[in-house]
Amino acid sequence: MPCQQEALVTANYPLTGDYWLVEIDSPEIAGSLRPGQFVNIRVSGGPSTFFRRPFSVYRVSADRTRLQVAYKLVGEGTRLMSTTLPAGARCDIIGPLGKGFSIPPRARRIAVVGRGIGIAALPTLMDEAVGQGIEVHGFISARDPANLVAADIFSEHGCSLITHTDTEQPGGLVTDHLSALLSQIPFDAFYVCGSNRLVRAVHRMALRTGVPAEAAMEQHMACGFGDCHGCVIEVNKDMLGTSKAFREVCHHGPVFNTWEVVDGRA
Amino acid sequence: MTDLSVRIGGLTLPNPVMPASGTFAEGLAQAIDLNRLGALVTKTITRELRAGNPLPRVAEVAGGMLNAIGIPSKGVAYFRDVTLPLYRGWSPPLVVSISAPTAEGFAELAAEISLPGVAAIEANISCPNIEEDGRAFAMKPASTAIVVRQLRAATALPLWVKLTPNTGEIAEVAKAAEAEGADALVCANTILAMAIDPHSFKPRLGNLLGGLSGPAIKPIVLRQLYQCARAVRLPIIGCGGIMTALDAVEYLLAGAVAVQIGTATFLDSAAMPNIIDGLDRFCDARGLASVSELTGAIRHEETDEEDLSWLSPPT
Ligand SMILES: Cc1cc2nc3c(=O)[nH]c(=O)nc-3n(C[C@H](O)[C@H](O)[C@H](O)COP(=O)(O)OP(=O)(O)OC[C@H]3O[C@@H](n4cnc5c(N)ncnc54)[C@H](O)[C@@H]3O)c2cc1C
Ligand SMILES: Cc1cc2nc3c(=O)[nH]c(=O)nc-3n(C[C@H](O)[C@H](O)[C@H](O)COP(=O)(O)O)c2cc1C
Ligand code: FES
Repeated sequence: MPCQQEALVTANYPLTGDYWLVEIDSPEIAGSLRPGQFVNIRVSGGPSTFFRRPFSVYRVSADRTRLQVAYKLVGEGTRLMSTTLPAGARCDIIGPLGKGFSIPPRARRIAVVGRGIGIAALPTLMDEAVGQGIEVHGFISARDPANLVAADIFSEHGCSLITHTDTEQPGGLVTDHLSALLSQIPFDAFYVCGSNRLVRAVHRMALRTGVPAEAAMEQHMACGFGDCHGCVIEVNKDMLGTSKAFREVCHHGPVFNTWEVVDGRA
Repeated sequence: MTDLSVRIGGLTLPNPVMPASGTFAEGLAQAIDLNRLGALVTKTITRELRAGNPLPRVAEVAGGMLNAIGIPSKGVAYFRDVTLPLYRGWSPPLVVSISAPTAEGFAELAAEISLPGVAAIEANISCPNIEEDGRAFAMKPASTAIVVRQLRAATALPLWVKLTPNTGEIAEVAKAAEAEGADALVCANTILAMAIDPHSFKPRLGNLLGGLSGPAIKPIVLRQLYQCARAVRLPIIGCGGIMTALDAVEYLLAGAVAVQIGTATFLDSAAMPNIIDGLDRFCDARGLASVSELTGAIRHEETDEEDLSWLSPPT
């Protein structure tokens, strides 16, 4: 059940690269959040920041009273978040929203794949999986090393991590490493977010190995709770892709099966 | 305690606040008690199944938003078999918004959805009319008259007609709807608009053009409602950019009997209950026994000293 509140900001500081991290005190949201769900934050102070801004929850405190959002400075809204929400301020936030990741029962080893801001959706999943005793392998990519957000969380959990950056390895793909590894280690599930190209690549591997794969999607949102039909994407209604339908990312997603969201080129 | 109930034609609503078509769905019941609302208004239903417009379908602009959702309708059977039974679970009167590309199509649809449990029909005649080159029925008095006449003949339910703010002759359109037997008017739908991303040179909506809603349109639609209120005797429901109880009061003063809230709910899911509470407090503070006393109470004459105290903001 989503909750809307004026929650206390407990910290807001530059994280790494283009990212900032805001920490918000909300036992209501943090307490019931599932990995992959998101929050919708109202930004004020700008003439044209009319909509709320949707963000994955980056992490939840161990006592589940506070949540963190890792946000990339993109435009006016995120810039205002970095200047108008200092510790002690109130933040108008709604959450948890949407449908999160699902971990198959008896899963022993999963692969999480992310690029850019998509990586910010992975740590809550990682925390949950590690808590269940599942082995997590990370594959993340970004423009440059400073934007490999969450790399520290992988090492904190002692998870294996393969990184890729455009500046260090121009032309290469993080999924090349993933497919190489696949021939040695069997995974029970794949999770991917942040780039359509990655989603397609992960989907192909999932098909080949017969393993479920989920992708977290993004779309511009107006309401964030399924009322306006504004945030739809086109999805496959069946695995053959013979019939298509529009689905709200905020309500049916943001997490979808990869077979739902890959297009004909997959 | 103020009497918040209002009469719209033959229908009495417990209070004057209801959702605007297309901005409300059952999901909102997770956030607010729908039984508090004056009425429930469905998203516009069409006979043919529609998928809607290209992506993205929403964009923000200063003081409002653009939408080109299209009317992704699941059709009449879905409404009858799924939506209607579900809505019977809530107490406020159910208003069903309908649309069709021809006057005859409108009439057939109105007849089909005149079902037990439906309290009124809201004809969204702001949509393109294929017999008029895609121009909306509500752009002209003559096309409005034709479609309202057919609708009136097709249903015995209270008939609300939703106007478009894109016409230059809204008072004449309102008169045409009144003359052909409409029971109430809704003023108004969104204003046709566009936005371009100056960095990518691309339109912000997949559909290029879309409807502007939110606070940006309030002064325009308020003016149009005022013009309609002076032209017709029909009850008018104000709709456009209402975010707060004081916005609603403005519409009532201009001549509205009730209001619809759209975009505000997207930013704050409790917008409607907050506006209801705010109207109650507003009337209390001014010693008004009934909210309907506000309807058309705009003052044209100069106020003297004593009257000004009446205008001080509510506490
Ligand atoms: C479910 C979900 C989870 C997300 N999680 C994160 C996260 O954890 N960290 C992070 O940095 N970003 C995340 N994003 C993207 C984030 O919402 C946008 O970067 C942000 O809205 C940009 O706002 P702005 O005003 O700075 O940019 P502008 O480009 O000025 O925004 C203009 C408008 O476009 C919308 N918009 C722009 N980019 C996106 C986008 N990628 N997705 C949806 N709407 C967008 C904005 O909300 C706003 O309405 C997520 C998006 C979604 C849908
Ligand atoms: C996302 C969205 C969808 C809408 N869909 C419909 C619709 O299906 N039928 C209709 O008559 N009006 C529709 N409208 C218009 C609203 O009912 C309302 O007239 C308009 O938004 C102005 O009110 P507001 O400023 O309070 O939002 C829609 C508006 C929005 C923003
Ligand atoms: S943002 Fe309104 S339905 Fe998803």
